[in-house]
Amino acid sequence: MKQETVLEVKNLQTYFYSSEGVAKAVDGVSFTLQKGETLGIVGESGCGKSMTSLSLLRLVPSPPGKIINGEILLNNTDILKLSDEELRKIRGNKISMIFQEPMTSLNPVLSVGEQIAESIRLHQGLSRKEAWQKAVDMIRLVGIPAPEKRAKQEPYQLSGGMRQRIMIAMALACTPDVLIADEPTTALDVTIQAQIIDIIQNLQKQLGMSIIFITHDLGVVAEICDKIAVMYAGQVVEEGTTESLFEKPLHPYTNGLIQSLPKLYEDQEELSTIHGTVPSPYNYPIGCRYAERCPFATDLCREQQPELLTVEQGKKVRCWMYSNEWQGETLMKELTV
Amino acid sequence: MTTAQHTQPLLQVNDLKQHFFLKKEKLFGPQQVVKAVDGVSFDIMPGETLSIVGESGCGKSTTGRSILRLDEPTAGEVLLFGKNLVNMNKKELRAARKDIQIIFQDPYASLNPRRTIRKMLTEAMSIQKIVPPEHQEARMIELMSLVGLRPEYLERYPHEFSGGQRQRIGIARALAVNPKIIICDESVSALDVSIQAQILNLLKQLQRDLDLTFLFISHDLSVVRHISDRIMVMYLGKVVEIADKHSLFTQPHHPYTKALFSSIPVIDKQYRKERIILKGDLPSPLSPPTGCSFHTRCPFATDKCKAEVPALRAITATHKVACHFAENLV
Amino acid sequence: MTLFILKRLAQIIPVTLGVTLVVFLIMQMIPGDPAIILAGEGASQETVAELRENLGLNKPLAVQYTDYIKNLLQGDMGNSLKNNQPVFEEITSRLPITIELAFYSILITIVLGLIAGIISAIRPYSLMDVGLMVVALLGISLPSFWLGILLMYVFSVQLHWLPVAGWDSAKHIILPAVTLGAGGAAIVARMTRSSMLEVVNQDYIRTAKAKGLKGYIIILKHALRNALIPVITVVGLQFGSLLGGTVLVESVFAVNGLGRMIVDAIRTRDIPVVQGGVLVASLIFVFINLFVDILYRFFNKRMDLN
Repeated sequence: MKQETVLEVKNLQTYFYSSEGVAKAVDGVSFTLQKGETLGIVGESGCGKSMTSLSLLRLVPSPPGKIINGEILLNNTDILKLSDEELRKIRGNKISMIFQEPMTSLNPVLSVGEQIAESIRLHQGLSRKEAWQKAVDMIRLVGIPAPEKRAKQEPYQLSGGMRQRIMIAMALACTPDVLIADEPTTALDVTIQAQIIDIIQNLQKQLGMSIIFITHDLGVVAEICDKIAVMYAGQVVEEGTTESLFEKPLHPYTNGLIQSLPKLYEDQEELSTIHGTVPSPYNYPIGCRYAERCPFATDLCREQQPELLTVEQGKKVRCWMYSNEWQGETLMKELTV
Repeated sequence: MTTAQHTQPLLQVNDLKQHFFLKKEKLFGPQQVVKAVDGVSFDIMPGETLSIVGESGCGKSTTGRSILRLDEPTAGEVLLFGKNLVNMNKKELRAARKDIQIIFQDPYASLNPRRTIRKMLTEAMSIQKIVPPEHQEARMIELMSLVGLRPEYLERYPHEFSGGQRQRIGIARALAVNPKIIICDESVSALDVSIQAQILNLLKQLQRDLDLTFLFISHDLSVVRHISDRIMVMYLGKVVEIADKHSLFTQPHHPYTKALFSSIPVIDKQYRKERIILKGDLPSPLSPPTGCSFHTRCPFATDKCKAEVPALRAITATHKVACHFAENLV
Repeated sequence: MTLFILKRLAQIIPVTLGVTLVVFLIMQMIPGDPAIILAGEGASQETVAELRENLGLNKPLAVQYTDYIKNLLQGDMGNSLKNNQPVFEEITSRLPITIELAFYSILITIVLGLIAGIISAIRPYSLMDVGLMVVALLGISLPSFWLGILLMYVFSVQLHWLPVAGWDSAKHIILPAVTLGAGGAAIVARMTRSSMLEVVNQDYIRTAKAKGLKGYIIILKHALRNALIPVITVVGLQFGSLLGGTVLVESVFAVNGLGRMIVDAIRTRDIPVVQGGVLVASLIFVFINLFVDILYRFFNKRMDLN
């Protein structure tokens, strides 16, 4: 591929230690991100997608949580091996992050302009005046009218959609290589969500950055992501281009998830569901973690955990069905290998 | 979807208003009012599911709460089986409430953490004196099985359950008094997709088996499509469009409804529409726009829209829109 | 806001009436006749009776009280029964001293309390944190007069570093201010600690970290400003107990402030002085509370609208 790899994550493991035991929130996650690409990480609650994103910037709350293994290579530098000082230089500068709750993610007692400007002063060494001007420009860039006035306001004076735009302005002020968006539109109304997605996509074109977009909303990833990684129980279970994933999902979980979405433009008598529930991160089963809910599971699945296999160019799946040893039914009429 | 062959609506809401008066900040300033629900009218026939959709601040949840008088309505009527709930006294209201129940959004907040499921269901049954004490045990086991939970779970406390299970408990509680109509206030919004599907299937099944009527409040149009017979769209406290499901989805008339549909990210490319991005934000409910409250963001707004409030009028027998130019905009 | 302030200012009237009435009644109920005490040992019955008549103590209670209120409305607080000096002047000569003492005490409360609270919050459950919190617990539990006497014993009597009593030099301020401020410092420390711990777990602190801001900036600029909001109320409330504390501390250290004046006046049953002193203290309390409430509301406008 002529694209260059901007971020490479290898075998990331983030565990949480408490009196209840060890929760393996992120348990061997690997993926790559190319320049200019938008990677979607999808999954339901508890799958580990948010912890994965927090781990990338080492923001995991550190008494209970700990990144115990893995490599996070940003342009070939391992973030996990950086000193605190070096790490701070990357945060907000080379890799930025926006979060789910714009209400609580902004400091209530500082003006929004100052919250953007301090980042600029820190990473780009501009003077107060220059940084403020640039902050105002960023606010304009994200489509907020009267940016000079707004910059002086405090978060409580802005609506939810506007606050999220400020978060975006803050994250992109230093033109990072990678933007990590952790459920940025989940807390917003759907019409506001459309605005925010529009802004993110436009800015991506303008600034040429790569995006990791974390969400549980399959519709959103279908629209904006080039590549998707599906997570379940702390692991990536399927990875592929957006088109191929929705056209022909390989993993039974991905398939089950897509099938259980109510369709907006078609009538359904009954929704197909995935029966059962997610296993507890304190107590994952030995074999495939999806086996107890999978209609195709065999003994092999229950006894051994499958690896993430590359099935085709750009398509990976963690499922015994795609290995040579498989002897059960298949999801597809023909195997994709 | 079968609707019962009755002619009388089970629930009639006429010109419901819910205005919240804010504490006066300035000594001589004007009294600030939030008109959360500003003249909403609709009927629900027995056995059908009417959904109310809209974004935050549109008044859909407040409408649901006002119908039950969880917030006292400022004006309007709510006729349940022809009797007005709004001017009932406490005793009459309590009796009426056994016919109309509610399931809330947050499965973690709507159950008392200090009560076992058994205590909660017993209390529900005892308050309404629906089930004599000697039959309560059997009824509770029946309820648990109706919602797909094992009877042993009766002894447990809410914190021992997952979100989906708690929502099932909420449904069991609502069913405990044999209601005729249940208001579901964003009841699946806090659940994961796979759990949401389970709960939606359960609700549909219960509707068939127990001949229930639903008022389903949600912001998620795909869910609403699946479960409704008719849909009502709200914006800033008013109804902008109300129609049967197919009519609304194939031919939405109101510009807001159209923008709403176009904003929803859709997986299947063939259904993706040209996105109508609304300009600006929702106006403050403290100072709603004059005339049509949507005119500040409407791509088709004219002077007439700024001046006159459009009435909710019928385009077809089953489709009403509140827009001056509804016919021209299709 | 204006409405709020006006409402609170209107409270001054019932407070004044309430305080003066309560003090008056209590003074009447305490055994001991001012005339007898004033006349001294060995005074004859006639002297005492005459004194009583002159001091107006024979009038019916209701009349004594309403006379007092009438005079008060004209700005006259009456005269001391002991030396016949206007109460108002007694108060104005001693109030500044108490205010100075209170000022330095609050300074100690805030400075010590904040520093201890912040240090504890930065490294929660560490040895430093536990140690500071234990000291804070002592600060709250030890009665101020006991602490005062202890400090006096150690620093004045044993070590001779500081003077024992009086109010003449800068050195004289230290022990009384520390004694009075210690309890408040302890409360502020604990409050700051818990408020900081709560703030540090908020989403916006995570955002600040994600921007790559340095640690001390996150603490001082982002966290502290938010954490201080509830602490302000605590400091305001502290002022109330501070006023009460001045009574004890001034007595222990023989400082000639308002507190000591009231204590002495109670002892000699000098009713007008007690009334005047307590009334002034109450009004100061009301105003401080109002000020703190206004400050709090100002900060909270942000919170409410969130």
